[in-house]
Amino acid sequence: MASSSPSTGNEMRTIHSKAVTIQVEGLYKHYGSVAAVCGIDFEVERGEIFGLIGPDGAGKTSTFQILAGVMEASAGQARILGRPPRDARLNLGYLTQGFSLYADLSILENLRYTAGLRKVPKADFRDRAADLLTLMGLEQFPNRLARQLSGGMKQKLALCCALIARPQVLLLDEPTTGVDPVSRREFWDLLAGIAIEGVTVVVATPYLDEAERCHRIGLIYEGKIQQTGTLTELRANLGLHRIEVRAENLPTAEAALQAALAPGETDLVDLQSFGDRLDILTADVDTATVQIRDILAQKQLSLQSLEANDPTLENVFVNHLRRQGADPSYRPFPYHRRQSRQLSRHQDLQQDASALPEPSVAISADRLRKVFGEFQAVKDVTLTVHYGEIYGLLGANGAGKTTTIKMLCGLLPITGGSMSLAGETQNLHRAEVRSRLGYMSQKFTLYDDLTIRHNLEFYCGVYGIPRSLHREKIEWVLETCGLAGRENTLTKRLPGGWKQRVAFGASVMHEPDILFLDEPTSGVDPLARRQFWRLIRDFARQGTAILVTTHYLEEAENCNRLAFMAAGEIVAQGSPTQIKASQSGQLIELVTSQTQTASQLLKQQLPSWRVSIFGDRLHLVLDRPEQDIGLVIQCLQKAQIEIRSQRLLPFTLEDAFIGTIQRAEVSP
Amino acid sequence: MPLIRRLLESRFWALMLKEIRQILKNRQLIFLLTFPPTVQLLIFGLALSPDVDHLSLGVADYANSAKSREFISALVENEVFKVSSYQTNQVALGRQVRVGNLTAGLVIPPTFDRDLNEGRSAEVQVFVDGVDANTAGIASGYLNQIANQYTRRLNPQLTSPPVETQTRFLYNPGLTSSWFFVPGVIGLVLTLTGSLVSSVTMIREKDVGTLEQLLMTPAAGWEILLAKVAPLFILLMGDVLLASAMGRFVFQLPFRGNFLLFFVLSGLYVFVSIGIGILLATLSRTRQQVVLTSFFFNVPIIQLSGAIAPIESMPPFFKFLSWFDPLRHYVAISRSLILKGAAVDALIPNIAVLFGFAAILMLISISRFRSQLN
Repeated sequence: MASSSPSTGNEMRTIHSKAVTIQVEGLYKHYGSVAAVCGIDFEVERGEIFGLIGPDGAGKTSTFQILAGVMEASAGQARILGRPPRDARLNLGYLTQGFSLYADLSILENLRYTAGLRKVPKADFRDRAADLLTLMGLEQFPNRLARQLSGGMKQKLALCCALIARPQVLLLDEPTTGVDPVSRREFWDLLAGIAIEGVTVVVATPYLDEAERCHRIGLIYEGKIQQTGTLTELRANLGLHRIEVRAENLPTAEAALQAALAPGETDLVDLQSFGDRLDILTADVDTATVQIRDILAQKQLSLQSLEANDPTLENVFVNHLRRQGADPSYRPFPYHRRQSRQLSRHQDLQQDASALPEPSVAISADRLRKVFGEFQAVKDVTLTVHYGEIYGLLGANGAGKTTTIKMLCGLLPITGGSMSLAGETQNLHRAEVRSRLGYMSQKFTLYDDLTIRHNLEFYCGVYGIPRSLHREKIEWVLETCGLAGRENTLTKRLPGGWKQRVAFGASVMHEPDILFLDEPTSGVDPLARRQFWRLIRDFARQGTAILVTTHYLEEAENCNRLAFMAAGEIVAQGSPTQIKASQSGQLIELVTSQTQTASQLLKQQLPSWRVSIFGDRLHLVLDRPEQDIGLVIQCLQKAQIEIRSQRLLPFTLEDAFIGTIQRAEVSP
Repeated sequence: MPLIRRLLESRFWALMLKEIRQILKNRQLIFLLTFPPTVQLLIFGLALSPDVDHLSLGVADYANSAKSREFISALVENEVFKVSSYQTNQVALGRQVRVGNLTAGLVIPPTFDRDLNEGRSAEVQVFVDGVDANTAGIASGYLNQIANQYTRRLNPQLTSPPVETQTRFLYNPGLTSSWFFVPGVIGLVLTLTGSLVSSVTMIREKDVGTLEQLLMTPAAGWEILLAKVAPLFILLMGDVLLASAMGRFVFQLPFRGNFLLFFVLSGLYVFVSIGIGILLATLSRTRQQVVLTSFFFNVPIIQLSGAIAPIESMPPFFKFLSWFDPLRHYVAISRSLILKGAAVDALIPNIAVLFGFAAILMLISISRFRSQLN
């Protein structure tokens, strides 16, 4: 850029005054005939956290690779700190998808290696390494091997490695996939701190609750940025409000409201079903409220509560993509095996669940224990899952979720306690028992070296589905996954999210009575996740008992009941609403003049989990808000920090989770 | 065709079809099944030969007479030795042997002619490089033998020793050493290929995580195992044919026994080698681990079997241990059938042991199969 024309000079100056660090103009990337990126423009300012969100295959990773200078753009240009990305590499930290560490090197060795690559002077290295490790809470075991670290710690170490050269720009491509909620929140707190110090952060994430913590968000789809703005701007652009409806007999209520969604009939725009509530989007809250009440009254359904709220980022995302026609096609599952039986059970469920004397139990565990050598992986877990119920198991990495699910489905022998599965207590390996189970494990459950069709044929055959039905079932999976016509693709060529969808299809084709899903939606984009849950809900309504583990707390809302696990124990159990309601204290949102300083100050006064930064706002969890808020205000005023606004927020499931876990740790 | 329909509907067929499809897509497996066995057979059959010929001989001929030259030409006549250097100096010759340029050195003293003419026994000095004990032994044996013959030719009236052995070699009249090795190497090839291919196929499920999913299906452990073993078995029988064809046409093995019997018993051994592979796979976690463990098992199996080193020359303890080596029994069977044309009844103990091995390995594998995830 040696142009000396005055206009360019002016532009450069304005850029400087705004301190734009990343500038992307008309960026294109083609792989053969496939266009991954089709004309992206955006700018990111110094100290800003810019989030890129979009479905799988939207072009996020390609954009990151161009920004990081590891790949050339086909057309257009990206400039970092006014230079082409390749030349800015020493000022750039890049965290790729998956763990980019050397598993057999220790924490310190990993850091030293990266520092060497990035030409960090030896004298600086020692101080910086000590500072960073302390910041990330890794200072106690610098000699531990990277492969011995938990997912969250690995990502923190990877972040250390990216930060060791003091980059001015940090590129993070899905840095928290597979990381548990507690570590994730800590990770984001760290990012907020780094950004305040002037580092520019661009981050891609499939977790939309996390994306809400970015300063600005770009919605990317089909290689184009569809929308950019702050969370508030995006919400305003959507022009819709969210109403949470809690009513008895949700399935009927959902059906009735779904019928009313047709354009022109009512003001209701979108309906989403969760474990114990319905979310309705509408432009006009007042009219919609009246309409909802009318519809439910017509069906003689009693309404428990009706709350208007801000739309979530997921609402923005899904609605925007729907307008683009990106919604995966929904096709009801072709039930055959137990149609008649299911029908009667389905009718039972139509009536109030509590009216049934004792809904039949699919899975029950009583004081279940598992010991590996010296290590107690699972301690006294007691739970019951009924047919037709979605039961969620949530917890940090290593909390014992996967061990529990493996014991419950008979893959691991139990050390102590008792359990029953589908009415059986012994010989869970029998083919008759297992043909009634469906299971989708955390790892890939498909054969990579077979085509999609061959994989599905295999699962049809091995579960003994009659040959005459194979075709119908396989077509259902293919259409649901949007893969019709591509069934002869080798499975390894599919992106991760799509593999998960096919794997789910493969595990339900035989219409199981009990379905075990171990992190089924890991790496699946929000739109497909919504479809996933719709299918899961369908199965539950047909009478299937579903036990699911997940990291995504926003999607745990889909469960009818759930349990939080920490250190092998269940620390809370109930419906999502019950769990949120049982949280003591209150969530308060503060907007202050100096978010970072305020956060640091308050973390000295309060346990650090009670304070977190969300974009330009602070979230505080206070047990006795009336007294505590006074102290908070005093503390901030003393430091001459201005409080611009404060309001109460309802707890999200994530807040409840973190609160529960942290309280359990303090008082074991 | 209700039977075929029932087969096509069965779970076993689904499992088997999946295995076949995976194998067809797996070029590496096809490579493993054809290339290494061919190379191993060729290398062991051709290169691993204990025959000694063309040994380099250095000569320091101080006599330098017609008689001494005649003696030297007697040594090189049958191509056991070839003279690669003439030295004038005994010390230089000794050095050449020490450095390793020569296998043997021969010093003919200046008194050679005189001693012979005067009816005394002439003494020659021989240096032999003893680093390779086998070659050294053979070289000195040949030297002695040739010297004796030479003596006898000089004095025909000299009485022969009172007892003379006349050796006739049975089964392998030309003493072709490849006839001894190749039947053993066929066993070695089946052991290596069978255990490697089956363990790698088994471990892949565990390595990528599909095993858990498979264990959750109604398929029984034995069904899963059998579906994996059956296609591999067929492919490995192809290897038996390949190896036999090479034995017949490259190494001219006689195949005196019933070939069908040889084929069936090789099948039994293939089953054993697959069993070893599956057992290794249930013991290991990753592909890398299984390959390394298979080395740990296969090397002793081969060394103790007598396929390469004769069992007779082993210390008593190892001789005893070799009875527990399935390969020993297969090598015995294949040598008997290929070279001797033995009948079944002579092989019954070996066959019984192989049956025992096959049954035990399969039982252990099936019982470990389900518990291997713990």
